[in-house]
Amino acid sequence: MPKITIDGKTIDLPAGATILQAAQALGIYIPRYCYHPALSVSGTCRMCAVEVDKAPKLQIACATEIADGMIARTDTAAVKKARKDVLEFLLANHPVDCPICDQAGECSLQDYYMDYGLHKSRVAPEDKIQRSKHRAAGRYLVLDNERCILCTRCVRFCDEVTKTNELTVSGRSDASFIDIREGKSLDNDYSLNIAELCPVGAFTSRDFRFKQRVWFLKRIKSVCTGCAAGCNIEVHYNENTVYRLMPSPNPETNTWLCDRGRMTYKALQAGDRLRKAFVKKGSMEIEPAIRHAAHLLDEAARKTGPESVVVLGSPYLSIEDNLALAELAATSLKTSNLCLDFPREQGVKDGILINKDDAPDANGLKLLKARYAGLDQGALIELINSGRIKLIVAEARALSSLKEKLRELSNIETVILAVTKSDLDFESACVLPYAANFETEGHFVNYKGLLQKTTPSVAAPDGVKPLWTVLSKLSSCTGAPIRLEDAAELRERISEFIK
Amino acid sequence: MSYKISEKTRAKIDELRKIYPQKEAVLIPALHEMQKEAGWVSEDAIDALSACLGLPYARVKGVVTFYTMFNRAPVGKYHLQVCRNISCHSMGAPRILSHLKEKLRIAEGETTEDGLFTLSTVECLGSCGTAPVIAVNEKYHENMSVEKTDMLLRELGLQQ
Repeated sequence: MPKITIDGKTIDLPAGATILQAAQALGIYIPRYCYHPALSVSGTCRMCAVEVDKAPKLQIACATEIADGMIARTDTAAVKKARKDVLEFLLANHPVDCPICDQAGECSLQDYYMDYGLHKSRVAPEDKIQRSKHRAAGRYLVLDNERCILCTRCVRFCDEVTKTNELTVSGRSDASFIDIREGKSLDNDYSLNIAELCPVGAFTSRDFRFKQRVWFLKRIKSVCTGCAAGCNIEVHYNENTVYRLMPSPNPETNTWLCDRGRMTYKALQAGDRLRKAFVKKGSMEIEPAIRHAAHLLDEAARKTGPESVVVLGSPYLSIEDNLALAELAATSLKTSNLCLDFPREQGVKDGILINKDDAPDANGLKLLKARYAGLDQGALIELINSGRIKLIVAEARALSSLKEKLRELSNIETVILAVTKSDLDFESACVLPYAANFETEGHFVNYKGLLQKTTPSVAAPDGVKPLWTVLSKLSSCTGAPIRLEDAAELRERISEFIK
Repeated sequence: MSYKISEKTRAKIDELRKIYPQKEAVLIPALHEMQKEAGWVSEDAIDALSACLGLPYARVKGVVTFYTMFNRAPVGKYHLQVCRNISCHSMGAPRILSHLKEKLRIAEGETTEDGLFTLSTVECLGSCGTAPVIAVNEKYHENMSVEKTDMLLRELGLQQ
């Protein structure tokens, strides 16, 4: 393997590795704009130039492959001058509108200018070439060509990752700009990755723009529950509000994050977020609504027997919540009508990330099914359609997923668990809200069988509790508690499933 | 309105594809053929060519807009192309350009009302030794000066 020495430190790397990769392995940081580990090398920005022994001039680290015995330096006067010159060049026509730029605080132009530039501009503002100012480039993106440094990360992303080819560099020299076909917009399923890839303020997120200065944001790692992919994410939040989701690259799951996944946090702040319970279409405080639900359960069991009640698990819920549902059926209701059988078609839908299964935890549900058994889905549907069932306890989306197979539900009472009103697509006698995935810890098993857990970043609205707590309270009201009083108890109970 | 590449041009492009192993490489010679036929390269022509070569629209668009020799709009009978690169610039191209603008009463990229002249600036014409250069369609006029430019315009039929 070729051996390279950078700034006096030596490393062996397989042939084909670049100086930039070698430097990274040695812990030496080389500034860059156009280089991105997940995209092809373009070498347009020239920011990563380093000195290489016996080379007649500086070489760009991102595109220069290492050779045995190569000696490179990143800290010489020539390198420093090159960085300064490149920055002056990139900033020549830049509007320097940082105070009104949403990228400020996470902008490589700002950072590198402070680190390597600090030059005075030799181009007067009136001499700068003006390119087009901000405009909507798609559903989620704003494009401000004036701030663009033409690194072409966005172009390469659309060419290589989504293969949708929406973008190109039009024109040449100082008249070139990132171009989208007239009348077309940048609407692929991964468009927001471009806002993240863009090292400057040229592409910004329409959703996140001007909501929060980035230096106020706190970051916490979690897992996206938008589909069965189980992408690792970083939740950016401040003062109990989630502002955006970013991918947290994990070789086992994801490099990018799809737009739909990035928008899953919207449910937290949605206008139709359930903050109170609903009983017979009327809003009610959660505690009395839970008592009312318990009353419904008791009534049904008393009048028509426990076998007239059905409890559904849900592929949309965490292992914790499904465990509570299963326990509710087994311990409190003492009914054998528990269904944890939700077969779903899984697999990557588009060759990138998005899964055919939009539920995050179908495989977690299988773990519980192995322990609690319960009815097969076919038997369940038959049972419900037979008219012997008087009451269903279910999470909204799980019941919706069966709706087409079920006959009229109008004669059956339902106790529905939901986060937002939009999850409900049928009438229910009693709707109980619960905390969303950003507000509580939960374990999920993705389509590959990888067990992961979400981390809470914000608190649920007043009085809204995790589903397992809601069910625990419900069970206490029925007189046969499932004994999930606190997180410690819960952890102990789920330990057999999350080994 | 959809653009149809003529049989003749398509046959030429097919010939070119045999010479070049990669479709990207055929792009520029193919664009020359398209421009020869229509005089300019329209959005529809870009679509037609991208379909013909199996390249994304964006790739073709990038190339068309990069090279100044591809016209993005119809041009007049005489396309006056003033070189704006360094040798011509230092040998007086800016003066010739402003003189042309004044004489023709048009700005860069525009065509005179009679459809006779289109004025544009282009990248290096590869004739630095005889700077400044104006190309009229495919023909070079070298070592130009304001006086020679006036003569050229008269020859080409500019009515004063």
